[in-house]
Amino acid sequence: MLDDKDRIFTNLYGLDDWRLAGARRRGDWDGTAELIARGRDWIIDEMKKSGLRGRGGAGFPTGLKWSFMPKDDRQHYLVVNADESEPGTCKDREIMRHDPHKLIEGCLLASVAMGASACYIYVRGEFIREREQLQAAVDEAYDAGLIGKNACGSGYDFDLYVHHGAGAYICGEETALLESLEGKKGMPRMKPPFPANCGLYGAPTTVANVESVSVAPTILRRGASWFAGLGRPNNTGTKLFCISGHVNNPCNVEEEMGIPLRELIERHAGGVRGGWDNLLAVIPGGSSVHCLPKYICDDMLMDFDSLRAVQSGLGTAAVIVMDKSTDIIKAIARISYFYKHESCGQCTPCREGTGWMWRVMERLAKGEAEVEEIDMLLDVTKRVEGHTICALGDAAAWPIQGLIKHFRPVIEERIAMQKRGATVAVGAVAAE
Amino acid sequence: MSLFSEIFVWWHGQTMGTRFYTWRKGKLMGTDDQGNKYYQASDGASIGGYVRRWAIYNGDAEASRVPPEWHGWLHHTVDVTPDESGYRVKPWEKPHRANLTGTPLAYRPSGSILAEGVRPAATGDYEAWKPE
Amino acid sequence: MPKLVVDGVEVEVEPGTTLIQACEAAGSEIPRFCYHERLSIAGNCRMCLVEVEKSPKPVASCAMPAGEGMVVHTNSPLVKRAREGVMEFLLINHPLDCPICDQGGECDLQDQSMAYGVDGSRFHENKRAVEEKYMGPLVKTVMTRCIHCTRCIRFTTEVAGISELGAIGRGEDMEITTYLEKALSSELSANVVDLCPVGALTFRPTAFSARPWEYKKTESIDVMDAVGSNIRVDSRGAEVMRILPRTNDDVNEEWISDKTRFVVDGLKTQRLDTPYVRENGKLRAATWDEAFAAIAAKVKAAKPERMAAIAGDLACAESMKALKDLFDKLGSANIDCRQDGAKIGGKGRAAYLFNSTIAGIESADALLIVGSDPRKEAPVLNARILKRWNQGHFRVGLVGEKRDLTYPYDYLGAGASTLGDLVAGKHDFLEVLKGAKNPMIIVGQGALTQKNGAAILAAALKIAELANAVREDWNGFNVLHTAASRVAGLDLGFLPGEGGRDVEAILEGASKGDVDFVYLLGADEIDTARLGSAFVVYQGSHGDMGAHRADVILPGAAYTEKNGTYVNTEGRVQFGRRAIFPMGEAREDWTIIRALSAVLGQTLPYDSLNALRDAMAAALPHFDAVDMIVPAHDLPSVSDADLAALGDDTSPFAVPVKDFYLTNPVARASRVMALCSAEFGAAPAQAAE
Repeated sequence: MLDDKDRIFTNLYGLDDWRLAGARRRGDWDGTAELIARGRDWIIDEMKKSGLRGRGGAGFPTGLKWSFMPKDDRQHYLVVNADESEPGTCKDREIMRHDPHKLIEGCLLASVAMGASACYIYVRGEFIREREQLQAAVDEAYDAGLIGKNACGSGYDFDLYVHHGAGAYICGEETALLESLEGKKGMPRMKPPFPANCGLYGAPTTVANVESVSVAPTILRRGASWFAGLGRPNNTGTKLFCISGHVNNPCNVEEEMGIPLRELIERHAGGVRGGWDNLLAVIPGGSSVHCLPKYICDDMLMDFDSLRAVQSGLGTAAVIVMDKSTDIIKAIARISYFYKHESCGQCTPCREGTGWMWRVMERLAKGEAEVEEIDMLLDVTKRVEGHTICALGDAAAWPIQGLIKHFRPVIEERIAMQKRGATVAVGAVAAE
Repeated sequence: MSLFSEIFVWWHGQTMGTRFYTWRKGKLMGTDDQGNKYYQASDGASIGGYVRRWAIYNGDAEASRVPPEWHGWLHHTVDVTPDESGYRVKPWEKPHRANLTGTPLAYRPSGSILAEGVRPAATGDYEAWKPE
Repeated sequence: MPKLVVDGVEVEVEPGTTLIQACEAAGSEIPRFCYHERLSIAGNCRMCLVEVEKSPKPVASCAMPAGEGMVVHTNSPLVKRAREGVMEFLLINHPLDCPICDQGGECDLQDQSMAYGVDGSRFHENKRAVEEKYMGPLVKTVMTRCIHCTRCIRFTTEVAGISELGAIGRGEDMEITTYLEKALSSELSANVVDLCPVGALTFRPTAFSARPWEYKKTESIDVMDAVGSNIRVDSRGAEVMRILPRTNDDVNEEWISDKTRFVVDGLKTQRLDTPYVRENGKLRAATWDEAFAAIAAKVKAAKPERMAAIAGDLACAESMKALKDLFDKLGSANIDCRQDGAKIGGKGRAAYLFNSTIAGIESADALLIVGSDPRKEAPVLNARILKRWNQGHFRVGLVGEKRDLTYPYDYLGAGASTLGDLVAGKHDFLEVLKGAKNPMIIVGQGALTQKNGAAILAAALKIAELANAVREDWNGFNVLHTAASRVAGLDLGFLPGEGGRDVEAILEGASKGDVDFVYLLGADEIDTARLGSAFVVYQGSHGDMGAHRADVILPGAAYTEKNGTYVNTEGRVQFGRRAIFPMGEAREDWTIIRALSAVLGQTLPYDSLNALRDAMAAALPHFDAVDMIVPAHDLPSVSDADLAALGDDTSPFAVPVKDFYLTNPVARASRVMALCSAEFGAAPAQAAE
């Protein structure tokens, strides 16, 4: 259980003033100029030492990522990915509307670390109030001289732009986001070249998640060792968890990395509806990872490496809880529909595969299939996974793989029921 | 038909042998629209277990001139002649026509070099310029 | 130079080479749909996945640069599985209508599914269906077959320079469309059909007419413009069915214009297939002997200086050589191959060639276009300019009528006065040319056909001189011709001799009665009304302006029906080859002139095509250098006297190509070209700003 003194997002629930005055009272913008004065190498070094891993889902070490930016005199960009569209995830949104100055200060410090003089925050299309709030905070920061020319009096020139997207899930993929930012259709780019070498408008660019950027100022102020002291080795610090689904009290909460899943749910979310024994499965990291049945959840630790060990992932730490009233097949079918709908259509396996998988999933949900088709579906997911330009293909494949891995008997039973002529009641849908 | 032409124009009507046999044993069963006459052996003489039946054509001896109603009787599909069974030609049926293959009236597909009328377009066709 | 191992074969490739090219270099074939050498890389079909050691996932070889020490496997089980997967995905929503698909037999999807696919389908859901899209009279669409490789989109944007094709929708609802259901307004539009790996885009004019394996393929040369695009003539029996481009990086890469491609139906209409003789004011079909006798009677009666010959735009070098030799023998100097009256030729070969060469455009870094609309006059060459423009750091200036050239340019002025300013150094663009490493000047027929064309040519030469565009290692002076026959005609000296009449003087003389006998070798772009009472012999393949006026018509062969030599605007000698035989009584053109010469008692000294070609090459050695460029270094020097006639006319230069689709007798006979002309109309001038 995280102590209150170790919390970074002290206004996560919007109980305090989100404006500059309130932010200053909570310690933001305190000695920013001094942090800048210590230089980009110090910032990167400190970030590396803190062990912070990217909070957007992939968990790539943030300090290392920032250090990839070439040290040349080209224009560099920082792009903040605020296109938070992962089902079940709502952490960046809270940061943007309740603690926007953390993000703005983080942008400044991250930009200093990578030599970027301009930063774009790409806000999800559906986040209209959040964008307004963020824009207001940016204006405040400009007026207070915290950003802009000679930011915070440090002598560093820094511009920050808030860009409003149009609401496509794929634009949360970093290269698709850059395409969209450039005014093109949001379709992922081929890698290589990586954005760190050839990103926005062909310039070196780092795309970072809102949360990763927002925690940076606090880490730099309180020291890398403080952050590294929280959590478990290689999975350090605190993390915003978004708990939704069949819990008594769905919530966002900042917790230490590596907290047991059961403790997280029972302490903060009021427990699973109907008690822990009523738990069917948990999707631990947004919709794009394998779901975990109860027997795994019992002693699961919530961090990158523990979840990877069971072939799932921490993702965005959006914990979707499903109790035994859930029709798990229908739930995963709904997720498949989401990926079919959000596939950009650029590369073949994802464009054709997501539709195929969704259609088979719909039939499986009704039981109108043959048992052999389960293996066929698994094979199809394997042919999508790893063969696409971006990770959406993988993300579409994993929930189905997880379902087949953990709930195969359920699917088989439903097919058998359908064959017997019993009416298959398609149960409540978790994800809708 | 004169006896003379019947002797020499052997591909019409009947030969002398058939005329003789018909005179001796033939029992006229009926005549079709084209004037072909149909006979059956009056003494019940049979070939292969079937009573002998034959036709004497009114003109060209061409087996396909037998219309369907008599064809059935002639080939022992039925034993009652069309006349006896009260056969009626349906209003939508076309008059029976013999097989015209090998005759000048034979069917020519539109691409045939023997067909008349406008030749269909073919590879290599071109429109020549004509002075006005 | 990265070194890598592909399937155990070590190859060394240029830096920046993609993996797919490296694999090809190593002899391993990689299947692909979206990748195309001449287009940008999309990497979206995923067919070219290969296994690279130390890479956790299969790698799209088209987008991955070849790296030092890579170990690539193109036939491993992983790659095979990946290909089978992609193939299956492509086929689940692809209709199985190969038997009624025009692409059948030359379909990448068909071929690759045979080679890399699996035998059955596991897809039991409904297939996607997509509405057809209208893309104009040339491109037929069956969008259900589309596999979204986006080659067509990339071609239209990058090569054709129009942004009229794109994809809307996403995921499996993605559709390729022209957005507003309008025709593609490019002269290169039908190349998207060649690029389409499936039957989604097919040729509308030749839809459902033949199968690819029925064709006899003849490699030939296009004569619709002076670029000399390399083409493949596909014929079936006695009919040319279609024309496709042939790859030649020096000329047309692998594009051809729509006119080149779809003029084929013009080869079947309005054909002259028998000689005609005019009797009592009416043309009557005659025999060759009658036609020759009629000509001989007139020739014998006419004085040599009252006879004349004009060669048309589609004439091959052989026929012009024969006709020139015949007129030399007859003692007449009144011959001309410049129907449009361009003031060019006779002053050194370099003064009328596209000296930089078409491929050389890519190494230029500034371009001045004088009186030309390359987009309409030579669309393939214009694509090359756009290609250069896309690479950046390339400024284009235009003197002449404002046109949409598909790339932005500095509009310098309309006519001769602007050119005068440039020569006098009163225009900034001269500084651009001077500052460029390889400056280029293109002079078009629109400028050269002006009354003061000679002075304009001199001015262009002067600008080239001022900009240091003519050096040992670079010749930036270029003339863009519009007629396929022109350079050969100028090479052969099919020009008025000493005291001879040019086209204008021939017509002038004929209308006044000073010229009694005019021989038109496929010349239709002249004002036939001015031929007056002269006795006109028309030799050609199509009944057009010339045939209507003619007194004797000698039916000749069209360019697909004879072995002919053509010299393109660069001076590149290329052989066109016979795909089918001439129609009816028509004969190959040089043989007609040879036969006529015997009747006239002036027998020409060659009895075979080879003898004729030998005679040409003996006089002009570059005719032996087939498919190659023999650089010319004989640019004339310019004196102030040459520039005196330039004047200060501010009216725009003429536009030589009024209607792109109807520039020659073959195109005017074509229904498809008439349709296109109706759809796109005469080239609209860009609105003055």
